[in-house]
Amino acid sequence: MYVHMNMTESLRGIKIIGIILIIYAALVATHEGEFWPFSIYPMFSQAGNPWTRAMVLDVTELPDHIIWQEHQLDQKIAPPVPLRSIGVDQIDYSNFISKTEEWTPTRLDALRQMLGPSNIQDRRWMAAKVHGTLVGEDSVSVTIQPFLLVTADSIYTNPNLPPGYYQKGAQ
Amino acid sequence: MAWIKSITRGLFEPERNTSPGELWFFKFFELFVVCYTIYFVWKWGWYTQLRNVEVVLPLGLANYIDVSLFFDHYLTLINAAVITLLITLCFLRKGPKWLYMVVLVLFHLQHVIRFSQGEIPHSQHLIGMSVFCFAIGAWFFPGHKQMPRFVMGAIIFFIGLGYTSAFFAKLIGTGINWYDGRHLWLWISEKSIDILSREGVYSPNFLQQLALNSTAIASVILLIGWFTELIGFTMWWHKLRPYTTTLLIGMHFGITLTMNIRFDAFVMQLILVGFPWYLLIDNVVKSAPQWLEKII
Repeated sequence: MYVHMNMTESLRGIKIIGIILIIYAALVATHEGEFWPFSIYPMFSQAGNPWTRAMVLDVTELPDHIIWQEHQLDQKIAPPVPLRSIGVDQIDYSNFISKTEEWTPTRLDALRQMLGPSNIQDRRWMAAKVHGTLVGEDSVSVTIQPFLLVTADSIYTNPNLPPGYYQKGAQ
Repeated sequence: MAWIKSITRGLFEPERNTSPGELWFFKFFELFVVCYTIYFVWKWGWYTQLRNVEVVLPLGLANYIDVSLFFDHYLTLINAAVITLLITLCFLRKGPKWLYMVVLVLFHLQHVIRFSQGEIPHSQHLIGMSVFCFAIGAWFFPGHKQMPRFVMGAIIFFIGLGYTSAFFAKLIGTGINWYDGRHLWLWISEKSIDILSREGVYSPNFLQQLALNSTAIASVILLIGWFTELIGFTMWWHKLRPYTTTLLIGMHFGITLTMNIRFDAFVMQLILVGFPWYLLIDNVVKSAPQWLEKII
């Protein structure tokens, strides 16, 4: 048997934990709930809100007048590009598309680099936003909104969306 | 105050003697944390070097320094190498007692560099919190007399706190109707898009189909998970800990099945800290060699 932490030392332990807790609370309170590894663990705390994610669709084979049309998930017009196969984290990609407010030339180019011109080659990839929302009492509607057409060397915005849509403040 | 003493006894068990099994287990657990730390820092380092172009969402220290400076010139890989070296020294108890804290700061930096792209994942928090508790333990409670008890007690404290905090975040963020089954439908559909985007195909599993077919079943699933989070803090008391941990592990399996979110490191760590494994080891090992005592 070995000597072990006695009650006095244990109380010192809980005191130190108490001090850490104050620092923890101060850091998460001033950093929107996250200061890794401290967190208030807010995942899934806001329930019932509409959500936006993103996908990449391969629209190479589709005619131009079809590719920009908004449509429902169950009537998907083109196959998704599996992001794992090109080494891109789908959550990163999704956040990049849905959280970017100002689509500057740098940001547009960053998207093209993220997907990788060597992966795109001579294909045409549609970066699409996907919106989900509760409809009525008992169903969820999932809409695909074509957003940016990406080729190996260029990016095109959706002509059906208002010009200000790609600037800050628009959604 | 009685309740503080009760929590203190629950976490640090001052009346119980330290056994050889406890020392072996503690060092094994530290090895687990060290291995995961090394795995994470290299994984994040490579991803950043290959993929990160611009800071989308600054977290932690990235609010104060421009972490895009680390996206090139192999700086994240150099940081990973430095962390690997330093944490190995810490594991062997070489160097100053604040060295673990340096590891934590570099680990934090690596995290905010990698996760500056908009995603705020929570699956690596337990490993991060463990390194933090090792850092505090090595600094303020060094030696085999105090460090194992303090580190394990502190980790358990913050795990329990985290789950209960998650319960209240939901209560405050949404209200008492958080468990409405239709909320689960929204999340299942949201996660299905992530899977579709990642794999190119998606089909709901049995539990998801069950939840999608009935609001009542979906609500019950959410309610069970939410209640389990609420009682997370009960793991502060060692007698309740195995039961609470079993429920939490069950909840994680439920989340994996309904929302396709996996928590490998999280669940493994829960399995390690939630049960008194030292009792098993004591049946086999009757002593701890001197070299082991030296590195505790």
